[in-house]
Amino acid sequence: MLSGLQLENVGVSFETTRALEDVNLHLAQGEAVALVGLSGAGKTTLLHTCNAMVSPSTGRVLINGQDLSKLSAKALKIARMNIGFIHQDLSLVPNLRVIQNVVSGRLGRRSLFGGARDLLFPADDVTERVYDILTSVGIAEKIYERTDHLSGGQQQRVAIARALFQEPQFLLADEPISSVDPVRAEATIALLKTLCAERNITLLMSLHNLKLATTFFPRLVALRDGRIVFDKATDTVLPAELEAIFDLTESSPVSEEVSDFEDRLGGRFG
Amino acid sequence: MNEKTLPELYRARPRNLVVRGSLTAMLILIAGIWLSGEFLDPQAFTDQRQENIARFLNELRPYPLQSTTFDASVALTWAHSIMQEKGWDALRITLAISFAAITLAGIFGGLLALPAARNLTRAEPFVINRTSRNRMTDLMWSTLVGATRLLLIFLRAIPEYVWAFLLLALLGPTAWPAVLALALHNTGIFGKLAAEVIEDLPAGPLRSQTGMGASRLQVAAFTILPLTLPRLLLFFFYRWETCVREATVLGMLGIVSLGFWIQDARARNFYDEMFFLILLGALIVLLGEVISTWARWYVRRAS
Amino acid sequence: MAGLAEATASSGKRRWILIAIAASGIWASISLNLDPALLVPGEGGLAVLSEFFSYALSPATTYQSIVPEGTTPLAAQALLAAWRTVQFAAAAMGLSLIGGVTLGFLSSYSLMIETRRGITRVIGGTVYAVARLTITLMRSIHELLWAVLFLAAFGISQLGAVIALALPCAGILAKIFSELIDETPRHAAHSAEAAGASPIQIYCFILAPQALPNILAYSFYRFECALRSSAVLGFFGYPTLGFYIAASFENLYYGEVWVYLYTLFLLVAAVDLWSSAIRKRLA
Repeated sequence: MLSGLQLENVGVSFETTRALEDVNLHLAQGEAVALVGLSGAGKTTLLHTCNAMVSPSTGRVLINGQDLSKLSAKALKIARMNIGFIHQDLSLVPNLRVIQNVVSGRLGRRSLFGGARDLLFPADDVTERVYDILTSVGIAEKIYERTDHLSGGQQQRVAIARALFQEPQFLLADEPISSVDPVRAEATIALLKTLCAERNITLLMSLHNLKLATTFFPRLVALRDGRIVFDKATDTVLPAELEAIFDLTESSPVSEEVSDFEDRLGGRFG
Repeated sequence: MNEKTLPELYRARPRNLVVRGSLTAMLILIAGIWLSGEFLDPQAFTDQRQENIARFLNELRPYPLQSTTFDASVALTWAHSIMQEKGWDALRITLAISFAAITLAGIFGGLLALPAARNLTRAEPFVINRTSRNRMTDLMWSTLVGATRLLLIFLRAIPEYVWAFLLLALLGPTAWPAVLALALHNTGIFGKLAAEVIEDLPAGPLRSQTGMGASRLQVAAFTILPLTLPRLLLFFFYRWETCVREATVLGMLGIVSLGFWIQDARARNFYDEMFFLILLGALIVLLGEVISTWARWYVRRAS
Repeated sequence: MAGLAEATASSGKRRWILIAIAASGIWASISLNLDPALLVPGEGGLAVLSEFFSYALSPATTYQSIVPEGTTPLAAQALLAAWRTVQFAAAAMGLSLIGGVTLGFLSSYSLMIETRRGITRVIGGTVYAVARLTITLMRSIHELLWAVLFLAAFGISQLGAVIALALPCAGILAKIFSELIDETPRHAAHSAEAAGASPIQIYCFILAPQALPNILAYSFYRFECALRSSAVLGFFGYPTLGFYIAASFENLYYGEVWVYLYTLFLLVAAVDLWSSAIRKRLA
């Protein structure tokens, strides 16, 4: 029984395509790992499998030794409270204030009444905590602004704040810098890494910018056509290997379908 | 850097006062009216009332069946005779009223939308940085827009039923009062919406036509009409559906649509017939909705 | 824009639509014997018309008939009638909102069917079907027809009038609400689910706030419609503006009629302006 996040022989298929095949991965507590590959390589699918938003057709996913597919709905909910997710499209509620979006990260741990309280009349200590987290991501003064009045980069940081407010053990980030300009991108990744290191959170981030991945992450996992091509320490990766994952001349037609599937990934709400 | 503390940020937070105020006002109004007990009728649930209600419900059943057990064929014959006498005619008249009214409203509403559209009704439409600014002519154009808009609001604000009532007394018992009443009211609605659609049009194509020397009317016919037609058609069919609904009811004033026979049955205490005709009215409204939904789907496909 | 062939095809389809509309209009006018000549009133009719419209520009300031001492002045009477109209409409809106939200929830495809499995799906499906049927019945019967039904059943009753106004309104609100909920984007909901929130929490704190601006905007629009229907209820004996319009007209006091007409106009126009202002700020 290993602690941390583990994928054992995970395969995911939908309709007639295999999005993931034979994936074996282990992340120890506190590690920071970058997931690289082309769009359609299966990065989003892999991340969504880690918190059981997508069920693997073969293999299993283990969080701290618990097989996610074997959990009851209630236990799964509790497991998910421990896993933070930053989506590619942010998934914030546009007409709520920033503070309200941030507190929604912890809804799982609150009752119905508690959630209402947090959203409408937050207690002082809750407000203080939100303010502190927003300070650490650099947008403290926007705490009461409407979320859709912020720029893309600022909304990105709200999404990060929400994930941190959840106080998870694991943080999954799906291309968190896609809506951020290049100058900010570096700062955002550095920020995420620091915050996760401070709190000993296991971080798994998918990126398709290789330079950022190699700069900030000590370990790289490369995906291509749903399979792991390599999984090793960054400083042992050869340039030729990096080129191989991104070699476009050999990309199979599978990638497009997987991209469509990943665009449509959804949970139980349709 | 202007560092604000948390309480200061809270006080400075953006608030939508108009929305919040209106919401609160409405809720207080509604709660206040209910709590004042005006509408709470203590007699609503007495035993006597319940007996009356039970008796009434019994009377809703078809007359030939009221004292015997249910027999499908008897019910059908009864229904059939009502339809023969008045049902089919009433349906035809109701539908005809709705078609005539909405067509008139479409035409006149569309025409009135032109002087009501601010980007069209001005001294030099679509021109950027006008050179000559004559106060008088500007005022005249604004008055035209304002007057048209006022007329449209007035047509819209008066309910169809009130129009029909007035027109019936003034024009006599033909089908015109019903048709005109619906047409007037819907002209107001349609005109306002069409004006808004015209105002939302991108200035580009309109400007290029004007630049080539087209008059306002020519621009309207050749550019505005094709550009706005899909949206207007969608709204046209949506309003037609509402016209069907209102046309059934206008009969209660005396024009021989469905509503007339409903009122007639009530006056004669034939509650079973009244109930049957009410359900028939519901049916035709539903039919109207189905046709309207299909028509709008067709328009979307054609765009 | 698509290719030339498709563009020609669509304009062809549109031409058919316009032809169909024109044809139905023509059929209708024949079917109803709509003779434009009938619009031109005869001698007597012309006199009535001109008298009626002459009062448009000079509505009465006092009663045109002899009224007993101490009767409320005309202007006050008009305002009182307007207030009564608002009362009926607001009371009906209260009921409609409660009914509309509840039925909208129960008839939402995404909440009742799509997200459930097994036995809860069957229950959800049944509730959905029953709710849809009820809503359809409620909104297909015009509020005046409901009023007629209640008049026959209960006699004149203010509560009955309010319920008659509320029923179709609740049905329409429920239909719109369910559509709004179904069409709200689900990104934020998925994200909350991934963080461990329960379905009820997601509905109340993620979906509802997202849909709320549209719901509010539409409700204010419906209030305006309720006002007009409330005024018309007056024709059936209830103390709203319609009653006074009918009474004054039947007594041929056209000046008074215009006072009430203008009051109704001002009331509806004011609410329309207010509701537009709100909708602009909600968007």
